[in-house]
Amino acid sequence: MEETVVTVAQPTEKRRRRRSASLEKRRARAGYVFVLPFILGVVLIYLPILIDSIWWSFFVRSTQYVNGIPTEIYTPNYFNYYINAFTQSPNFVTTLLASIQELLFEVPAIIIFALFIAVVLNQKMLGRAAFRAIFFVPVIIATGLMDSINGADIATGQTQAGIDDGTGAAAGAGIINALDVQVIFQSMAIGGELVTYVVELVNNIYNIINYSGVQMLIFLAGLQSISPSIYEACRIDGATGWETFWKVTFPMISPMILVNAVYTVIDSFTRSSNPMMVFIDGQTSVDPHYAIAMYWIYFVVVLLIIGIVAAVASTMVFYQRKD
Amino acid sequence: MASMNNESTPVVKRETKNSISVDFEGKLTSKERLMNKLKESNTWITAGVNLVRFLLMLGVSFVILYPFLARIANSFMTKEDVLDATVSLVPKNPTLEIYQAIIFENNYFEAFLNTLLLSLMCALVQMMVSCLVGYGLAKFKFKGNAVVMIAVIVTMVIPHSALQTSLMKHFAAFDLATVISWGYPGIIELITGQNGLDLTFTFWPLFILSIGGLAFKNGLYIYLMRQFFKGVPDELEESAYVDGSGVYRTFFQIILPLAVPMMITIFLFSFSWQWTDEFYHGLFFYTKDPRYQVLLMPDMYTTMPPSLIPPNGYGATTLYTNIVQNTAGMLIIAPLIIMYLFCQRYLVEGIERSGIVG
Repeated sequence: MEETVVTVAQPTEKRRRRRSASLEKRRARAGYVFVLPFILGVVLIYLPILIDSIWWSFFVRSTQYVNGIPTEIYTPNYFNYYINAFTQSPNFVTTLLASIQELLFEVPAIIIFALFIAVVLNQKMLGRAAFRAIFFVPVIIATGLMDSINGADIATGQTQAGIDDGTGAAAGAGIINALDVQVIFQSMAIGGELVTYVVELVNNIYNIINYSGVQMLIFLAGLQSISPSIYEACRIDGATGWETFWKVTFPMISPMILVNAVYTVIDSFTRSSNPMMVFIDGQTSVDPHYAIAMYWIYFVVVLLIIGIVAAVASTMVFYQRKD
Repeated sequence: MASMNNESTPVVKRETKNSISVDFEGKLTSKERLMNKLKESNTWITAGVNLVRFLLMLGVSFVILYPFLARIANSFMTKEDVLDATVSLVPKNPTLEIYQAIIFENNYFEAFLNTLLLSLMCALVQMMVSCLVGYGLAKFKFKGNAVVMIAVIVTMVIPHSALQTSLMKHFAAFDLATVISWGYPGIIELITGQNGLDLTFTFWPLFILSIGGLAFKNGLYIYLMRQFFKGVPDELEESAYVDGSGVYRTFFQIILPLAVPMMITIFLFSFSWQWTDEFYHGLFFYTKDPRYQVLLMPDMYTTMPPSLIPPNGYGATTLYTNIVQNTAGMLIIAPLIIMYLFCQRYLVEGIERSGIVG
């Protein structure tokens, strides 16, 4: 009797194990099917384009006439384009520094603004639905064409200056004057850099609002995912709104700050109005291969900065363990 | 004594089957009650905070909307109004000539139809592909899952403008499996002995990029979709499997309907970003040759209608050209705004439900 039990038990155990393994395999195969479009796209289209682009940056293209027919001749140039960008090009390094500087100014401004607006939009208030609708208009339209329309727009600026001043002739006046802010800040004994930063911030408010739409959405999603019972517990324990924000909301939202910081860096660097993109774009019509080399230098710098930003931001990130 | 008694005993004001309204403050009139409430210091602070918050939101909304208002106001001006220094925002002789010129001389409706077709195609394909890829990355363990995720991030980080020369060459002579486009033949070249297919001035380049999940910001869509599907509990699929539903049927009949708000968000993103795109337009569609030209929205912005070109000696040519361009911009985004008004509810809802966590 005992022997029969043993012989019966072994095959079922084996069969069960085999079935679960095959299920896992089947699941893995299904996973491949789901990501197949992307894998095919990367292998057949993206990688060739990428490799081509890198390959070309090591060659000089010139047109020569062979028997009267123009033919493109590629001669190896090795790393010369990369070296030239730093040593020969008059504006490459300065533009690169300028665009990094712009980034340093923009990222904190956009993240603080987006977080602030998301917190306010998350509260119950009069006309919240209408404000939400208005605040996400830039997400839809502040890219591509509208970006260049905003950039080229002088008509709106002129009418705006007219509104502020009443005379209609205050050319180039921003929303606020540096002098006004300076007067306020002098009494507080705060350095000049901060004054210029704040003035630039206020005068750039239109751009900052326009570029912070997606970040606002991501913050709003994060705020919605915080459990209301935490806030309830805070209220019972007598925490003020200020304490609740810094001790609860801020740590809970910190993963989103990391995501947004990285997204903002990518978005700011790859936007077509970025000074570096404009500069390299201008180079493309002169010598495309040189421009490609510049793009790759730029891309490496961007990656480095993303790495730094991610490293700095991730030291402050707090992950709540859900399980 | 009597008044104290009155205040402490609640008075039932109205009682129905399901609700009861009780007045705890006795004989106080509504006005007195309001005064009592105002005496509490908290009320004033809350009211002040609410007012400041409301004004702030109003101010930021104004900053967002002002350029649109100014552009719309400017779009009704005549050439004389632009010159007139006393005219600001409100035109003296309102006219529709700028709109008429753009709509009829620039063939706005043709551009509208083309852009609509292109954007719809891109948005639908990109939405489906990012759903599939996002689901595959979120719910399945397979070898190379992490590698695919890294590839998604890489496609997001490298801007397509960095690859423009290469993109252009590849789609002007499209051939699968050409790693380096010169010197090494692709499949089509091996079979027919001719160069690859010229896909410029067609919708094909964007279709091919979309179906591979490689078009503008598709990495972001895949990432968003992945985060969404990660938030869907596994038990849901497991119970479907137990009931005998296969992987694909479960995905299409159970998981996909859950993802509709997120899908609408992504549709909205990709539709409107394709709608206002000018980079791919410049790369694949830019030409002045009417034989090849596919009129798209950016053409409305870059082409000055002939009847509006100011005469020689006109004092504000740059400003007027700019106003015409702004009007074209308004006409370009008008359909988007209309669509947004219908879909904006889903934009927030979709993102809110995603439960994105870094």
